[in-house]
Amino acid sequence: MRRARAPLCPTLARLGAALACVSAAACRRGMQSALDPAGPQARRIENLWWLFFYVCAAVFVLVMVWTLAAVYRARVRRRETATALDVTDEPELAPAPQTERALRNVVVGATALTVVILFVFLVASFVTGRALWEPADRTNQLTVEVTGQQWWWKVRYLDAANAQNVFTTANEIHIPTNTPVTFKLQAPDVIHSFWVPNLMGKKDLIPGQIAYLWLQADRPGTYRGQCAEYCGMQHAHMAFYVVAEPPEQFAAWLTRQRMAAAQPASASAQRGQQVFMNAPCVMCHTIRGTQAGSGIGPDLTHVGSRTTIAAGTLPNERGHLANWVADAQSVKPGSRMPPNSLSPEDLQALLDYLQSLQ
Amino acid sequence: MSAAETEEAARAAEARRAETELARNPDLAARKVRADRRELDEAADRRALERTWASGRGLWAWLTTTNHKDISARYIITAFVFFLLGGVEAAVMRLQLARPENGVLGPDLYNQVFTMHGTTMMFLFAVPIMEGIGLYLVPLMIGTRNVAFPRMNAYGYFAYLFGGLFLYVSFFLHTGPDAGWFAYVPLSGPGYSPGKRVDVWAQMITFTEIAALVGAIEIVVTVFKQRAPGMTLNRVPLFVWTQVISSFMIIFGMPAVMLASSFLASDRLIDTHFFNPAEGGDALLYQHVFWFFGHPEVYIIFLPALGFVSAIVAAFARRKVFGYTAMVLSLIATAFLGFGLWVHHMFATPLPQLGQSFFTGASMMIAIPSGVQIFCWLATLWGGKLRLKTPLLFVLGFVAIFTLGGLTGVMLAAVPLDLQVHDTYFVVAHFHYVLIGGAVFPLFGAFYYWAPKFMGRMLSERAGRWNFWLMFVGFNLVFFPMHQLGLKGMPRRVYTYLPETGWGDLNLLASLGALLLTAGVAVFLGNYLWARRAGEVAGDNPWHAPGLEWATASPPPAYNFVYLPTVQGRYAVWESDADAPVVVGLKTDCREVLVTHVLDAAPGHRYQLPGPSIWPLLVALATAAAFAPGIFTPWAFAVGAVLAFLALFGWFWSDPKSGNEPGRAAQPAPPAPQLEPTPRARPLEEGA
Amino acid sequence: MSASRNVIDVSEMPTHTFDVGEPVWWGNWGLLAIETTMFGILVATYFYLRQRYQFWPPPLHTSPHPFGPLPELPAATANVVLLLLGCIPMFVADRAARRGDRRAVRVGLALCLLFGAVSMTLRGFEFAAVKFRWDANAYGSVVWFTLGMHALHLLTVTLEVFLLTLWVFLRPFDMKHRVDITVVAVYWYWVVAVWLPLYAMVYFTPRLQ
Repeated sequence: MRRARAPLCPTLARLGAALACVSAAACRRGMQSALDPAGPQARRIENLWWLFFYVCAAVFVLVMVWTLAAVYRARVRRRETATALDVTDEPELAPAPQTERALRNVVVGATALTVVILFVFLVASFVTGRALWEPADRTNQLTVEVTGQQWWWKVRYLDAANAQNVFTTANEIHIPTNTPVTFKLQAPDVIHSFWVPNLMGKKDLIPGQIAYLWLQADRPGTYRGQCAEYCGMQHAHMAFYVVAEPPEQFAAWLTRQRMAAAQPASASAQRGQQVFMNAPCVMCHTIRGTQAGSGIGPDLTHVGSRTTIAAGTLPNERGHLANWVADAQSVKPGSRMPPNSLSPEDLQALLDYLQSLQ
Repeated sequence: MSAAETEEAARAAEARRAETELARNPDLAARKVRADRRELDEAADRRALERTWASGRGLWAWLTTTNHKDISARYIITAFVFFLLGGVEAAVMRLQLARPENGVLGPDLYNQVFTMHGTTMMFLFAVPIMEGIGLYLVPLMIGTRNVAFPRMNAYGYFAYLFGGLFLYVSFFLHTGPDAGWFAYVPLSGPGYSPGKRVDVWAQMITFTEIAALVGAIEIVVTVFKQRAPGMTLNRVPLFVWTQVISSFMIIFGMPAVMLASSFLASDRLIDTHFFNPAEGGDALLYQHVFWFFGHPEVYIIFLPALGFVSAIVAAFARRKVFGYTAMVLSLIATAFLGFGLWVHHMFATPLPQLGQSFFTGASMMIAIPSGVQIFCWLATLWGGKLRLKTPLLFVLGFVAIFTLGGLTGVMLAAVPLDLQVHDTYFVVAHFHYVLIGGAVFPLFGAFYYWAPKFMGRMLSERAGRWNFWLMFVGFNLVFFPMHQLGLKGMPRRVYTYLPETGWGDLNLLASLGALLLTAGVAVFLGNYLWARRAGEVAGDNPWHAPGLEWATASPPPAYNFVYLPTVQGRYAVWESDADAPVVVGLKTDCREVLVTHVLDAAPGHRYQLPGPSIWPLLVALATAAAFAPGIFTPWAFAVGAVLAFLALFGWFWSDPKSGNEPGRAAQPAPPAPQLEPTPRARPLEEGA
Repeated sequence: MSASRNVIDVSEMPTHTFDVGEPVWWGNWGLLAIETTMFGILVATYFYLRQRYQFWPPPLHTSPHPFGPLPELPAATANVVLLLLGCIPMFVADRAARRGDRRAVRVGLALCLLFGAVSMTLRGFEFAAVKFRWDANAYGSVVWFTLGMHALHLLTVTLEVFLLTLWVFLRPFDMKHRVDITVVAVYWYWVVAVWLPLYAMVYFTPRLQ
């Protein structure tokens, strides 16, 4: 002990620096960040977060100051008394009553403060929580049915008025800005969790149950979401994007998506369509307007218009698409997409066709 | 009058007081307890006890010992080996996550590794090591010779060992469980986890369950019935309180996971439908039952660590812990509340909002007793004369880390915040702050504090400082950035992540921190191996600490105390003096202990404990014969049950040798010298 | 080495007592606390699963009726009566063990063994009377599990009685085993007591639609 430095101070500084980093703006930006809200719900949660953060940080600093002061005080007191004291010196069995009274007051005070803080937290949490569940505007809501499955997201745009308008897509959800959108969530296999941090907290998809959630984006942008409940081998690669667009742009997207697939224009794309229909592709995928109508894999009617493939794993570019079609297991081991041995010409034709599905 | 004379007079007065106290107690008089002053031949008694209690050497002795210290040492070493294995798994995961799309582990292996890490740390490390230390120290701290059911204690260890081996053999055969330590259905159910991986997990739970429950009953009964005379409930050390309370939590919490894993195993093995929604089962049922155990589990791990903290704080602040009553009540409140907040693990599921607020309230409320304890320790530190030895350093580290973990826990109790950070790295950070800060740091402090008692030698103080600082800095480097990762959207249990997520830097920082943390643990291992041979010889009580465990040799003899002590205060050694009476009249030719009353620890009767026995091992083997092949066919349970019955028949029927087996000695041991002027024990029948 | 010390001499104290004095009594209650908790959670599971069904017992796939068949009462009710009656010889053995009356203990335990064996047999009929297999649906699973878990305890306590009966007929009637008899009696009473709510749950709550 005699050689002891003052070891706790740098630690505190380091902790402080790290704490400061959390609050730094640089740490907040992100396309999947709870602290970069793009909608009213995420914003409310963020406000609640900062309330908790600053109060908790203050409590933490107080506790650390108390601890370090006790250590520092002990040092000072030791210097005042003899240096000969060692660990074997007599314990204090009857501490001075006035010290004990003072300590008791401090402990009681600290506990009372804890209770008050917790009560404030409880009320703030309750108020925020209530606001998360009821959208301000309930009229004419768009309902999107999202089905999480190992390991991608099937997305259906429902339309109670006109069944013709219902269509299916995958892993990319477009929503109009400043409009609450209802999500009907379900999972046929295992538990998944639907989560777009920039917009709202998560909701678990429990097999055998249907869960509802609403979201609203108040600025256009692309927000990444990801499955947040461990769901097996490729849990890591089960992402999706929410694209928030101004209402008129969204309406255009909706109209386009409702249409059946375009007939291939080029000769190569036509050959690609033949390849698709003769290869195992047709066993699992749907392309509306063709005889491919299976619901096992993602609907590919407008696959060319999406920004990613394989549930947010790869950008939707020709090279990646080729890789994915030929050998999905090397990209996403365990996924349900089988390898396809196609001749180079067939593969190129197929890519032409898929990319033409805008 | 000189100081010495004054002291002598005070001692004599104290002795007289103790004597009258005993004489006035009608119950004791009726039970024929006599206070007296005797000439004691300590050397002879020591020899007799040595003959009766010694564990012996050789394989047979190793397999049959029922000495709580032998068994606890095994618990501690085995659990520490599992800690190292779990640590290696963690390090491999950090390596994989150090940069985006890394290829160290594929998804299949990663999922096994993270499942093994969680399972190992929760079931094979944390609970057993806390119970192991408890089973070692509790009999010493309460002044008795062994636990109440020594053979059952041995059985518990073997069950635990077999469970751990079963899990790791399966893992090395590439059949490691991969559905997470929580094994949520339906993912872990028959439809989505074919093969035997999850069955291995479910059966391992059964084994460790048995061990934990057995240990819990041992501790509760030993503390209730075998405390040294004078150790009223009001004088029970805080360490012992934490062990008892956490044992009660095991007793009421573990049956839930026993049911959850049995339901799961039967869904998988014999096609029941507890969790199958298609036939009326429910996936959320599993979560309710699992977390009804799973949340108390955290406190089961963490309460004993609070006992370490209290013991260390008292010894190194050189004073009583401030607010004994508040501390005990806080522990009890924590245990009660701990059962009422499991739903905060399920806030993201489609449960009614109204019910969730109740669990928010309960979850926040548990911060109050935790806060009270932290404040009481800080008050103790403030009012004491601190000695900054390594154990105290670990306690200060605990205060810093655990406080932070507790505060993030309060954040997680708020439903809106939980919805954002649930199942993200924020939660990973939170519970590592709570479990490593709350349990592992005190544990390492406890190693430094009690190592002299366990092995008779001190660990190096200089290495201890390195150990502490490497672990403290390393820990914070690993886990602090994870808070930010969680807020930036990184989910848990992902084997990799994409570069565009922007999580790479913080993950790299965390992985670098893992190097320091590993180095810290390595320093500890080196320190331990060095100290075993070359450490400074400790003596009975190197810290001049207050607990009764320090009132005997280091390491303690097989019988713990030559004469069972009597207790005059909460801090037995500090508040005792040379003239405090000791207990005599227990037989030394068989393993006899004193049973006392639950509340006031007044002597009740003498109680013979069984000596070495092979039956615990055989019963554990029969248990293993039921559960290990039970992953393939339910008939294994029938066979195992028959084997277990036969083994238990042997256990029951064999005359429990209350001493060393006569067969092992060349000839019957000579009659043990009776303690003068002890009359021979009366025939058993007269006892009632 | 010899030194003069203050002592309390316990050499004249008894070596056994009954009930709260005995560690094994506490150990047994620890075990029973575990098992009671387990059954408590099982009861919660039963009602949790029930609230997911409109009809209980749920209809079998092969049956046109909205309700599944109710569990039949005769075997189960006979068994409840039997279990309750079985407490009488156990009580006799319990008291006799305390008195040290070896003959009464032998008679009481032997009768208990008989009751246990008959009760186990009746339990076999109870399984058949459920009318559902364990793999029919969640209802079948939870009812079989409840019956099975209790049967396991019934089997365990019967085997314990068997061991003690052997002991009192073949080995010395010593104090340790007299204490054991009183402790097994507690276990026996518990096995009977815990069955009463389970019996009501399995056989009567489905009748309260």
